[in-house]
Amino acid sequence: MSSKAANKGIVFLMLALGFMFSLPLADRVAEGVGYPDKIIKFIVTAGAGGGEDMEARLLSPFLEKYLGQRIIIENQPGAGGRIAFEKFQKAEPNGYSLVTYTFPKSIIMEFMDKTNYKTMDYVPVYSWSRSSQLLVVHSESWKTFDEFLKAAKSKTLSGGLSGRGSTTHLAALLALDELGIKVNWVPYEGSAGSVAALAGKHLDFTICLATSAVSLINAGKLRPLLLFSERRDPYMPDVPIAKDLGINMEIIPTLRGVEAPPKTPAAIIKILESAFDKATKDPGFIEVAKKRQLILQPTSSREFGRIIANAYPRIGKYQQMLKE
Amino acid sequence: MDMVLQAIEFVFQWQNMAALVGGSVYGIIIGVLPGLGPSAGMALMIPIVLKWNPATALIFMGSLYKCSNYGGSLTAILVNTPGDASNAATILDGYPMCEQGRGNVAMGISATSAMVGGTIGMVVLICMAPWLADFALKFGPAEYFLTAILALSIIAAVVQGATLKGLAAAGLGLLLSTVGFDVITGHLRYTFGWMIIEDGIPLIQGLVGLFAVTQALVLAESASSISRLSKLSGSFWEGVIIYFKHPMAIIRASLIGLVIGVLPAVGQSSAGLLAWAEAKRESKHPETFGQGDPEGLLASETSTNACMPGDLVCTIALGIPGSVGAAIFLGIMIIFGVIPGPLVFAEKADVVYSLFVSLVVTSFVIFIFGATVAKHFAVFTLIRNEIIVPCILVVSLLGSFAIRNMMPDIMISLAFGIVGYLMLKGGFTPIPLLLGLVLGEMVETNYHRALMISGGSYSIFFQSTISKVLIFLTILSFAGPYMGPFWKTLTQGEK
Repeated sequence: MSSKAANKGIVFLMLALGFMFSLPLADRVAEGVGYPDKIIKFIVTAGAGGGEDMEARLLSPFLEKYLGQRIIIENQPGAGGRIAFEKFQKAEPNGYSLVTYTFPKSIIMEFMDKTNYKTMDYVPVYSWSRSSQLLVVHSESWKTFDEFLKAAKSKTLSGGLSGRGSTTHLAALLALDELGIKVNWVPYEGSAGSVAALAGKHLDFTICLATSAVSLINAGKLRPLLLFSERRDPYMPDVPIAKDLGINMEIIPTLRGVEAPPKTPAAIIKILESAFDKATKDPGFIEVAKKRQLILQPTSSREFGRIIANAYPRIGKYQQMLKE
Repeated sequence: MDMVLQAIEFVFQWQNMAALVGGSVYGIIIGVLPGLGPSAGMALMIPIVLKWNPATALIFMGSLYKCSNYGGSLTAILVNTPGDASNAATILDGYPMCEQGRGNVAMGISATSAMVGGTIGMVVLICMAPWLADFALKFGPAEYFLTAILALSIIAAVVQGATLKGLAAAGLGLLLSTVGFDVITGHLRYTFGWMIIEDGIPLIQGLVGLFAVTQALVLAESASSISRLSKLSGSFWEGVIIYFKHPMAIIRASLIGLVIGVLPAVGQSSAGLLAWAEAKRESKHPETFGQGDPEGLLASETSTNACMPGDLVCTIALGIPGSVGAAIFLGIMIIFGVIPGPLVFAEKADVVYSLFVSLVVTSFVIFIFGATVAKHFAVFTLIRNEIIVPCILVVSLLGSFAIRNMMPDIMISLAFGIVGYLMLKGGFTPIPLLLGLVLGEMVETNYHRALMISGGSYSIFFQSTISKVLIFLTILSFAGPYMGPFWKTLTQGEK
């Protein structure tokens, strides 16, 4: 390197440094300069090993690759995730603590209990996957959704729920409202109980996440009749969605995504969003996701925010029914 | 059979043996460390094993899962601190044995239980998993309710001698089980606006208080050590010999553990407790149970170890996990493309059978670990109280905190510790309280569900054959203590 070029380089570097230090600290954070320069905490609102946790753990090595920083996963279970959400409301908006959860569970909680947090206040970063909510019956009963609907209109059927206030509960209420049927809902703690009860013919049908029923569906013991989604599930391409059956059903998607604390600067969100996007589209992650049967649905910060805002009035409509 | 032989050959390849032993050691450490259960232990390893061969990774996870339970019973026996909820019953006779200076013998019994209980459970699993899974599906809410009632009836045996105090403790346990979010109605009960207990009283934190904290307080009263005589008597091998002298107790405990493991909606923590209570009822000397009776320890340990293979039955054969640990295991299997379900025994037979074989081998690895390493652990019970008490308190409360990263959980443990201490001084035993706490929710929610399904008709409780058998057993269980003398006079009258 010639000395002239080196001099030029040093002058440029000095200028850059001088410029950086002349900015007040807060502005530097706001512009995301140097971010991320320390470990990022990824809060999971449930215990280690569940669906939310597993997705976070599978994604984080790829995120580390694109953020150039280590990510640690912190499990904060309790009260269905509310403890984590309440804590997160007060987290520092510096991009070093993020929360990942299953949308829209935090919003359902806002309508069921008094909460001190508001999902609307969080800053959406990204959402990478969606889960399929299914209506499943025993394979020895109804063959099609029409047969099921006819039966449900002639008598009250018993339907299994994976928990009050769960995303599944919401999907069930939406369906019920659209179809005009009366159901005798039997709540369980988690889908294992309701799926087992259906397989043992103790219930007429159940609504659950596809992942909890896939084993028994593959084995021909259970039959999925309807998928509550706007798009079909690539791992179960034969299961119809409402639109295919000519039913106009309002759908609130079940998404796995990540948010930042209220008032996180846009520049930081931008860095995070791009890293999440790259990680989600990394061939390595796509391969892992395929094995886990995750339905990848890259959703930008703006789009995720729009979905969250739209969900409020629609979930509010069911407030009374959620509590019943 | 060919499948099993091939699997044996596969498991003994060096890399799989390395995974097995590595998983075992890691599992024991996870189990011993407070606040780190099998769930967290397995979740932490997911990113690492992803790159491995599926069967090898599952062997690693399987041995980890199994051994963390053993690690938990080590601390339960030595310092009265259960590693996980399933180790609750281990404490009852394991720790008193240490107080008598017979820690070595307890180590022997616990390691042998892991080997024998685990092997019996696995052999049954290998031979009859699909059949057992179908049996488990026959259990609906009505059957689960009746199972829980049958389990509760065992309290009658536990409280013998101090019936009134025992029943009061059981009632308190049942009441405590109602705290939190009511799954059926969606209401919050007795939470007083305290978010920490919305999921109910956290079981492990409660157990830490009831046993570890209480015991630390008791120890603080005297100047000796956990082993009251400040010396050790008996050996590891004595424990092994005692174990094999009770074949009937072993079979009973294994059966109880298996059944509870197979039923996905019955908590694993009840396996050891129920086997312990049943052994007490069958025993010729029930009064020594809870005072360091080796029979009590072998019953609870054997049952807990047989429970884990039972838990895997529905997980693998139906894709329905019976516990949190099993749910994680299920998730890991799916990542490796082994989709559980009735078809898995045909489609992925190689992976499934090598997992099963590896779990049997793990049972023996635990025994070897016990005979070589754990047998020296009994010296912990010789440490003087002024040193060990602060250690127990710090470590157990740290564990209580680490489970959910919450400071208030330490308060819960301390509160339970004080309650436990007062109960002890007042002549109450904590066991009925524990049974009530563990079984209460199962009784209540399934009663509700059954009536919701039947539309309020009580006939649902008498419909199936299983229900009738359960009702018969419950009546027998209640009437048992009275039937004995009656039977005696009847037969003697004939003579």
